[in-house]
Amino acid sequence: MSFLIQDYFPILCLFFVGCGLSSIILGASYLLGTQKPDTEKMSIYECGFNPYEDSRNKFDVRFYVVGIMFLIFDLEAMFMFPWAVSLSHINSMGFWTMIDFILELIIGFVYVWRIGGLEWE
Amino acid sequence: MDFSLLYQNNFKMFLPEIFLATSIFILTIHGSFSVSSRHLGFPLLTRSFSKLTILTLLLTYFLSENNSINFMLTYQNTFIFDLLTSYVKEIVLISTIFSLFIFEDSLIRNQINNFEYFILILCAILGLLFLASAYDFLSLYLAIEMQSLCLYVLAASKKNSSFSMDAGIKYFILGSFSSALLLFGISFIYGCTGTTNFENLSILLAETNDSNLFLNSIIEKALLCVGAAFLFKIAAAPFHMWSPDVYEGAPTSSTIIFAIIPKIVLFSIFLRLFQSTFFIFEDTLIFFLIIFSIASVIIGSFVALRQKRIKRLLAYSSISHVGYLLLAFASNSLEATQALFFYLVIYMLTSLSIWSLVLSLNTTKNIQKSKTLVDLSSIAALNPILGFSGMIAFFSLAGVPPLVGFFAKMQIFINALGSSLFFASFIAILSSVISSYYYIRLIKTIYFEKNDDSFFIFPVSKACSLTIGLSTFFLLYLFINPYLLVLVTQKMALCLF
Repeated sequence: MSFLIQDYFPILCLFFVGCGLSSIILGASYLLGTQKPDTEKMSIYECGFNPYEDSRNKFDVRFYVVGIMFLIFDLEAMFMFPWAVSLSHINSMGFWTMIDFILELIIGFVYVWRIGGLEWE
Repeated sequence: MDFSLLYQNNFKMFLPEIFLATSIFILTIHGSFSVSSRHLGFPLLTRSFSKLTILTLLLTYFLSENNSINFMLTYQNTFIFDLLTSYVKEIVLISTIFSLFIFEDSLIRNQINNFEYFILILCAILGLLFLASAYDFLSLYLAIEMQSLCLYVLAASKKNSSFSMDAGIKYFILGSFSSALLLFGISFIYGCTGTTNFENLSILLAETNDSNLFLNSIIEKALLCVGAAFLFKIAAAPFHMWSPDVYEGAPTSSTIIFAIIPKIVLFSIFLRLFQSTFFIFEDTLIFFLIIFSIASVIIGSFVALRQKRIKRLLAYSSISHVGYLLLAFASNSLEATQALFFYLVIYMLTSLSIWSLVLSLNTTKNIQKSKTLVDLSSIAALNPILGFSGMIAFFSLAGVPPLVGFFAKMQIFINALGSSLFFASFIAILSSVISSYYYIRLIKTIYFEKNDDSFFIFPVSKACSLTIGLSTFFLLYLFINPYLLVLVTQKMALCLF
C-alpha cells in the first residue's frame, strides 16, 4: 500500500490542485465579471455551424477535413514525447523507427499539401 | 554490439514488405505532384498508375520468391516466416496482379480517376502481407486494421454514387464492430495469460491442471469473440449480412479485390491460431465451426436462388463456398487442411474467370448499370468463347466432374467424412446439390435464353480475355494433373501440424 501511495501521491496532488484551480478561475469569473448575455455572445464560435440541429440539414465537410488533419498531425506528438524522454535508454533501432515514422508523416503531409487538402476554398 | 548486424536477417525477411512500402511512398509523392501539376495539365493517371502498381507487385513477388530462409521468427517473435507465409504471400500477389489486369478498363469506364485508388490497393496488399506472417495478437490486429481500413475506402471510392457510399459506410460500421469484438477477445486472452504471443500462448496452454481450469474457460469464451471477428471478415453465415450489400454497392473493381484476395490470408492466419496455438480448445472450436459451416452452406444456397443481380448472386455463392471451407477447417486434420488450401486456390482461380466475365458483359444498353442475370443471355451466341469459358467456370463452382472444382469439393467431403462429421457433410452435400441449380440456371441463361433487344456487345479487353483463357485452361488442366497444386498445398498444410 505504501508503494502505491508513494508512486501515485504526486498525481493525487495534481488532481486536487487542478480541480481547485479550475473551480477558482471559473467561479471568480462567474461571480466577479459583469454578465450581459446576447445571442451573438451565446452562439457557438470556431466551428461554423450549430452542433445540435436537424440531421437532414446540409453541413460543410471542410470543417471535418480540417479537424481530421489537425488530429493526424497533432497526435504524432503523443508518440514523440515518450520517445524523446526515453531516448537515452533505447537502442539505435528505436531511434531509427521514430525517424521512419516522421518520414512517413512528412510524405502524408506533402500529399495533403499538393492535393489541396489544406486550402479552404 | 553492432545492432545493424543483429537486425540484418529481419530486414532480409522483410525485404518484399519494405520494398512495397517504399514504392507506396514514392508512388504517393509521384502521384500527388503530377496530378496537381499545371505544367502537365492536371493529367489523369489511371493507366500509368495501373501499370506501375502491377510492376511494383511483380517485383514484390520476385523478392518474396527469392527468400532463402525456410523458418524464422523476427522482431521479438511478432512475425513468423515459413513456407505457409511465403506461399500465401505469393498467391496473394499473383491474384492481385491479375485482378488489376482485368479491372483497368472498368475503372476508366466508371470514371474512377483517382490515383489514390491504386495506393489504397497497395496499402491493403501490404497489410495482407503483414497479416500472413503475424505471430502475435498485436501484429495480427494492426495488420487486419490496415487492410480493412483500405478496403472500406475502396468500397466507397466511387464518390458520385450513393450506392458506393452506402456500401462503404455499411462495411466500415460493421467492420469496426467486428474489430472491436476481436480486440475484446484479445484483451481477455491477455488478461488471463499475460502474453499476446502465439508461441508463448501455446506453451502456456499446453499444461492443463485444475488450478487454471477457470482461466481456460474464460480463454475459451474470448476465443469465441476472436472467432466471431474472423467469421465476420470472411463473411460466414450469421455474420454475412454486410457482404451482399457491399458487393453490390461497391464499384466492381473494388468488389473483385475483396471477393478474391483477403480470404486465403485470413484462413491461413486463423488456421495457425486455432490449430497450432489454441489446439487444446479444439472440441469447442470444432463444434462452433460446424454450426457456422452448416449455416453458411444453407443460407448461401437458398438465398442465392432468388437473386436477380449477378454481384449479389456471387456474394451469396461465396458465402456457401466459405461454408465448405469451414467444414474443412472443422475436420481438423492434415489432409483436410490441405483440401482447404486446394479449394481456396481453385476458388480464387474460378472467381478470377467469373469476375472477368462480369466485367466483359458490356453492351450498348447496360454499360453504366449494375449487371443482372438478363445481361448474361445470348452471350454464347454473341461471343461463343466467352460463353464457353463462363460455362466452364460455373460448372467448376458447382462441382461438376470433368473440372477441378469437383476434385476440390470431393476432397473436402471425403476428409470431413474421415473426421466423422457425418451430419455436417450430409447437409453440405445436399446444399451443394441445391446450389448447383442456380449455377446451371446461369449456364442455361448463357446458352439458351434469347435477348430480343437490339444492342451491340463491346469487345472484351485483352487483359480480360488473357485471364479468362488462363483460368479456363487451368480449370481443365488441373483436373487431369493436379499434382503441382497438391504438392504446394500439402507443404502449406504441413506448416500447421
